[in-house]
Amino acid sequence: MREVVIASIGYTRVSEHWEKSLKGLFMEASLKALENAGLNVKSLDGLYVANAFAGYLQRQTNLANIMAESLGFFDGFAISIDSGGASGGIAIHEAYNDVARGIRDIVLVCGVEKMSEASPQDVLLAQMSVGDQEHFRFSGITIHSLAALIYKTYMKRFNVKQEDIALMSVISHEHASTCSHAQFPFKVSLEAVMKAPIVSDPIRALEIPAPCDGAAAVIVCSHEKAKEIGLPHIKIAASRIARDSFNLNERSDLLAMEALVRASRLAYEDARIKPSDLSFVELYDDYTVMGVLALEKLGLCEPGEGVKLLKSGEVSLKGAMPVNTFGGLKARGAPVGAVGVYQAVEAYLQLVDSAGANQVKNARVGATYCGCCFNSIVVVNIFERCC
Amino acid sequence: MATSAYWRTRLCRYRLIGNRCQSCDRVFFPPRFMCPYCNSTKLEECKLPDRGRLLEYTIVYSTPKGYEAMTPYVVGLVELENGVRVLAQITDVNLENIKEGMEVEACIRRIPEQLEEKIICYTYKFRPVIK
Repeated sequence: MREVVIASIGYTRVSEHWEKSLKGLFMEASLKALENAGLNVKSLDGLYVANAFAGYLQRQTNLANIMAESLGFFDGFAISIDSGGASGGIAIHEAYNDVARGIRDIVLVCGVEKMSEASPQDVLLAQMSVGDQEHFRFSGITIHSLAALIYKTYMKRFNVKQEDIALMSVISHEHASTCSHAQFPFKVSLEAVMKAPIVSDPIRALEIPAPCDGAAAVIVCSHEKAKEIGLPHIKIAASRIARDSFNLNERSDLLAMEALVRASRLAYEDARIKPSDLSFVELYDDYTVMGVLALEKLGLCEPGEGVKLLKSGEVSLKGAMPVNTFGGLKARGAPVGAVGVYQAVEAYLQLVDSAGANQVKNARVGATYCGCCFNSIVVVNIFERCC
Repeated sequence: MATSAYWRTRLCRYRLIGNRCQSCDRVFFPPRFMCPYCNSTKLEECKLPDRGRLLEYTIVYSTPKGYEAMTPYVVGLVELENGVRVLAQITDVNLENIKEGMEVEACIRRIPEQLEEKIICYTYKFRPVIK
C-alpha cells in the first residue's frame, strides 16, 4: 500500500449562498483546490462528489456526471457518493483506497450541499429521507425525535443535566468565533442555548445545526505527486468505515454506537496510535448529545464521562484534546454531504500550521468522524503531519 | 408516495405484523427480507403483541408539513410484551400524563394524507392502557 496524502484544499464559507448554485459552489471549491496546487483538471485521474440531499432538494441526480461536465473533466471517472452525513468521509475513504492501491495517482474529492433555498419543512423531510422511507415516512417520527430519545436516555443513565450536554454547543461556537469559514462565527452563552425554542424535547434549537450551503474540496494523491505539486501536505494515516443497525428500535442499547467504536478502534490500529496520541478531533455533532457520546465512543474518556471532559476545558483549543477546532457541525455549519470533506480541510489547516487563531499547538495527528442516521454508517479518518 | 407503496405496508400499519426468522426465532419489525443475525431468508409473518411498555418518549414541536394540526405530538419507543421494540407516535394522552414505563396498547389512527389519489391513510400508534 502506498502512502496517501492530501496535497491541496479549497472551500467556500459555510453560509446561505443565495447567489450560488450547487454547481457554483462545487466549482468554487474545486477550482480553488486545483489552482492552489497549480494543477489543470487534465492532470486528475478521478473525481468523487459527495452530497446528501441534491436528489431531494434540487431534484438533481447524477451529480458526479453533472459536476464533471462543469469542470470540463472528460478523461477520468466521476462517481457520486450519497450516504447522508457520511458522504464526505466515504468519498475521502474511496480516494484514499484508490491511491493507496495504485489504481489512481491523483483524485479530486469535493463535498457539496445546498439546503438554504428549501423551506425548513422540506429540509426536515430531506433529513428524514436518509431513513427507511417505506416504513417511517409519514409516521410522524422525525430525525429530531429520534435524537431526543437518545438524549433523554443519556441524561438518565448518567444522571446529568441538559445544561451539561448543551455546553457542547457553547464550546463549538467559541471555536467558530475566530473561524472565517464558519456559518455562525460568534459565541453563544449557555443561557441562550437553554432559552432557545424546543424542537423535540429536550433538544433546543441552538443544540442542532441550521440548514446551510457549502462546498469543500481536497486533492488526494500519492506522496510522489505531492512532491511535484510542492505544497505542504498531510498524510492520510487511516480510513475506516463501519455499520450498525439502521433502525433505532432494533438496537438493544440506544447509547452503544457500535459502529463508531469499531471504526475508530480499527482506524487507531491502522494508524498505530492510541486515542491519547490525538492532537485534535473533529466530531459529527449533529446533536449536542451525539458530540458528547462521540467523546466516549472514540475512547477519549470513559463511558458517561463525556460531560466531565467537556467541563474540564480540555476540549478547548488550548486544552489537551481540542475538539471541533473550527466550530464543528453546530457552528462551522453542517452542509451535510460535505461535512467529511470540511473536516479533512480543517485537519489539513491544523497539520500544516495554517489554522490561524484556531491553531492547535504542536498538532501532529488528528481524527475526523462523520456518520449518517445516528452512526448507522460511520467513517473515521486519521490524518498526520508529514515531516 | 404512491398509493401502491402505502398499500404494500398495510399489514404493518394496520395489524402490527412483522416477521420471524425460522432458523433463529428472532422477530423483526418492520419485516426484513433476510435475518441479519443468521442470514436466513426463511422468514414467516408474525403478529406482534398489541401491548407493551413505553421505554422513552419525546414531545415533538418541529414537525413536517401536514402535521401542523396535531403539533405538538409524542413519539415514543415502545417495548412490546415479546421484547420487540417499535417506534411510533403515542396518542390519546395529555402531555402532562405521560410517564416512562407506562403500559400502552396499539391502535389505528389516521395520518396526514400524503397521496395524490387522496385516499385516507392510517397507521399504528400507541395509547395508554385504560384500566
